[in-house]
Amino acid sequence: MIVYAVLAVLAGILVSLSRQINGRLALSTSAMESSFWNHLVGLVFITLAALVFGGLFAGAPLASPWWAYLGGTVGVIFIAMGSWLIQRIGAAQTALMIIAGQMVSGVVLDVAMGAPGNLWARIAGVGLILAGMIVAQTGKRSIRQVPAEAQR
Amino acid sequence: MQDRPTTSFHFLAAFATGGLLSLMVLFNGTLAAYGSLFYASWVPHLTGTFAALLFLLLLRPARASGTRPPLWAYLGGISGGITVMLTSATLNSALALSGTIALGLAGQMLFSLFADMRGLFGLPQRMPVSRDIAAVVLVIGGSLILIFFGGGA
Repeated sequence: MIVYAVLAVLAGILVSLSRQINGRLALSTSAMESSFWNHLVGLVFITLAALVFGGLFAGAPLASPWWAYLGGTVGVIFIAMGSWLIQRIGAAQTALMIIAGQMVSGVVLDVAMGAPGNLWARIAGVGLILAGMIVAQTGKRSIRQVPAEAQR
Repeated sequence: MQDRPTTSFHFLAAFATGGLLSLMVLFNGTLAAYGSLFYASWVPHLTGTFAALLFLLLLRPARASGTRPPLWAYLGGISGGITVMLTSATLNSALALSGTIALGLAGQMLFSLFADMRGLFGLPQRMPVSRDIAAVVLVIGGSLILIFFGGGA
């Protein structure tokens, strides 16, 4: 159990790590180019892993609805936006606002699709998230920003 | 020390980007319901590679200064691929979906704060202030309520 908990935390760390590496690539290229390399390198990696572990075409993948195949195109914009944002507002703010957007839009999607859920928990959760967003972007803050060039 | 200008536009853009993630979860999750988890990650990477190529050809984004990026900067996709494997393992454990998401959020948030404070990977160094920490507590708190109490019950 504790092993799986560590793996789940590690998965979150890798999400952040991936965004930082892609953001670094975008600094020298462009956000969309970093998204291209992320997808191409990821494709090669997953293909190799699937060859090792097998089962890539298990189940009935061709039975899925056509719109399920749109995830890759949305993902390209998602990765490019992450690379674009992380140089401008930092890793923590980028992660926090993406999490906020995912959670709130998830509730909206659930409600729109009629998924059952606890109304009061949804109101409390969305309320806290929106409050956090307001706190995050109100007020002037003094922060130390060291240009990337000075880091090397 | 310098004053950071308000970045409301960036915040809203990041919030909308999170909305894209919900769509990806819906689309890729539907693929996983019919095929394997590998397939649900392999297909979006395949279609995404071609979509990105098309976007690059159509938009021709300006390329940053001629300095060549370090080789490791091209390896972000591997990190994403490992994430898929880790979550497919934890999803089937006692953690289930809610535990996997909650612990993943914690890992993502803490490592992002750490990376900002250290200026890792050649990105600008930023020190969080108490207001930033308050925002993290509110957003993550609200997220945990949604994850553990917001679903069908």
